[in-house]
Amino acid sequence: METQSFWEATTPQRPDYPTLDGGLRVDVAIIGGGITGITAAHQLAKAGKRVAVLEARRVGGGTTGWSTGNLYVPVGPYFHHIAKTRSQEVASTVAQARFTALNFIEQHAQQYSIDCHFARRPWYFFTQEEDMVSNIEKEAEALQQAGMATEFVTQVPGLRFDSVQRAVRMDGQARFHPLRYVLGLAKAVTQMGGQIYEHTTVLDLKEEEDHCLLKTTHGTVTCNQMIIATHIPIGIHSVQTVAAPYRSYVVAMRLKSGAYPDAYYWHNDKTHHAITTHSTDSMELDMLMIAGNHHKTGQASHQEYQHYFNELEAYARQHFDIASVEFRWSAQHYRSGDGVPYIGLTHKSAKRTYIATGFYADGLTYGTVAGIQLADTIAGEGSPWLEAFDATRGTNLSTAGEFIKENANVAAQYLKDIPAGQASHFSDIGPGEGKTIEVDSEKLAVYRDEHSQLHVCSAVCTHMKCIVNWNNAEKTWDCPCHGSRFMIDGSVIEGPAILNLERKAIDPTSGHLLESGGKTSGEREINNPIT
Amino acid sequence: MNLIYTSIGFFALAALLGMYLLTFVLRGKETPKAIVFSHGPMAVVGLVLLIIYIARGGPNPWESLVLFVLAALGGLYMISRDLTGRPIPKALAVGHGLLAVGGFVLLLVFAFGD
Ligand SMILES: Cc1cc2nc3c(=O)[nH]c(=O)nc-3n(C[C@H](O)[C@H](O)[C@H](O)COP(=O)(O)OP(=O)(O)OC[C@H]3O[C@@H](n4cnc5c(N)ncnc54)[C@H](O)[C@@H]3O)c2cc1C
Ligand code: FES
Repeated sequence: METQSFWEATTPQRPDYPTLDGGLRVDVAIIGGGITGITAAHQLAKAGKRVAVLEARRVGGGTTGWSTGNLYVPVGPYFHHIAKTRSQEVASTVAQARFTALNFIEQHAQQYSIDCHFARRPWYFFTQEEDMVSNIEKEAEALQQAGMATEFVTQVPGLRFDSVQRAVRMDGQARFHPLRYVLGLAKAVTQMGGQIYEHTTVLDLKEEEDHCLLKTTHGTVTCNQMIIATHIPIGIHSVQTVAAPYRSYVVAMRLKSGAYPDAYYWHNDKTHHAITTHSTDSMELDMLMIAGNHHKTGQASHQEYQHYFNELEAYARQHFDIASVEFRWSAQHYRSGDGVPYIGLTHKSAKRTYIATGFYADGLTYGTVAGIQLADTIAGEGSPWLEAFDATRGTNLSTAGEFIKENANVAAQYLKDIPAGQASHFSDIGPGEGKTIEVDSEKLAVYRDEHSQLHVCSAVCTHMKCIVNWNNAEKTWDCPCHGSRFMIDGSVIEGPAILNLERKAIDPTSGHLLESGGKTSGEREINNPIT
Repeated sequence: MNLIYTSIGFFALAALLGMYLLTFVLRGKETPKAIVFSHGPMAVVGLVLLIIYIARGGPNPWESLVLFVLAALGGLYMISRDLTGRPIPKALAVGHGLLAVGGFVLLLVFAFGD
């Protein structure tokens, strides 16, 4: 089964935004048209700023359109963890910010009559394992301390799980269709005079003394401020030493009974599963989604990536009356060193460049937080959340372990790049298979399609030169270092890489590389900007 | 003197890997990062041992240390260029190697000369 996002498949009338053509001067340029970029654009346009969103692909087509559409105050890394790594005050600010963002989404969905199925519902957090009980109790207490009302319950309504050991409930959380919402908000941006450009990739960016300059595939943009809303900053950024990339998996299914529970559930035993329900085309629930099974991008422990989907499906079949599997997809999230995202000026000496990253899989709400916070900061209104999310805060003692672990892991990926001689040959690659092989002292990412046609690129990631790995579920090349992902023709899908993998030509008879001429390997058309 | 011998051992290993890396740079090929990230740390260990030896006082191979420090700076510059996608100037790679060889020869003379 091909991977396909439910949200992409259930979004009618997707507007086409133009591609940038030539030079542009605006107050604020926003790189990336996901929920973060579009929310920021909305708030800035509302504040009277001239704003332009530059989106490499389609608006909402990044992680936003491949998520699971749940809106909630709780967070994956847990508030009790944040209270420990940072402080109770920071945990409370984060909770307040998320609460505000949730209300913001509801209010704007109503204001613009966005048909995005927004509906309030409770969140349940439960376990069937004795040794996970204290985790749930600690989190319930942390949420209470952050001013969020929770209550312990003995039953988890809507599910048939035996012997629930501990469960907590929080009301007032929500679901929505993230892609329809973002497209609705994007329409409002253009109605307020904001500009949105699709298929316009930012290749280089620079903060100068009195302006910023962005080079795109279709022209340059000069602006007073810029927001890098690309989920993880593009180019080379110190935050990439802590914002580890993870892929997680989603399976969407129909139920025989049609009894879709109206809530969002976190089932935390040794493994974490998120259970949610959504609707295809009306407010009526008709789709069950199970999400989980994350692993570091490009570092799957199972060579056969379908395993991750199959495991989720097996879990669903164990607990629900599954009629059919309709969609499977996976998407990426980025962590942070201390459990709190990085939102704000990109580094201590920056005056005009802002980033937003480290959302975990909680970023529909965090993206909204970021959009509001960054726009308020740029518009000069200040923000009560600045300090909690300060993107320049670096590593502290309680997060040093995480920092070391993450960077040791990246170093280990580099150490796998050993010259292996001609370990395998093109003929070892079967139809539908991808492999990295070495030819003429160069590492190549080779895919053989169903018609036996070879697609050959350099296997050297254009971000910081790790060797990409084959992802056989999505037919992509995934970099194990900082999560850049590439299509079989080498084009960038996501991650910090800006440039495509270099395409390579081979001589079909000798199996050797044909000289591409010009550049030497390792040399790029542009330098990676240090953002 | 044991410190110096160990330091020589690390520098010798680093030199072997360095020569291998040079073949990639001179042919305009991507350097294999496992070798890059073994070469550098080995040379750093050699350098640290040398610094400890010198810090203990007495006659010391400071000329060798100066050459190694210069080579190390060149190495850091090259790796920063390499990882950010800029080509490594071939002359710089050769110069880095020559500095390190110079430092190594002086170290050998100090350790084994009369
Ligand atoms: C499986 C999964 C499920 C999730 N479910 C939920 C959920 O239920 N609730 C929740 O709150 N969060 C969820 N998340 C997290 C959430 O989806 C993301 O954090 C959020 O969508 C990030 O939004 P964004 O706008 O920052 O990034 P994106 O939506 O990824 O947008 C970034 C945009 O930048 C563009 N871009 C990149 N490079 C360039 C360039 N060089 N030039 C121009 N444009 C560029 C991309 O094309 C992309 O459109 C989930 C995450 C995963 C992985
Ligand atoms: S994503 Fe950083 S090296 Fe590939």
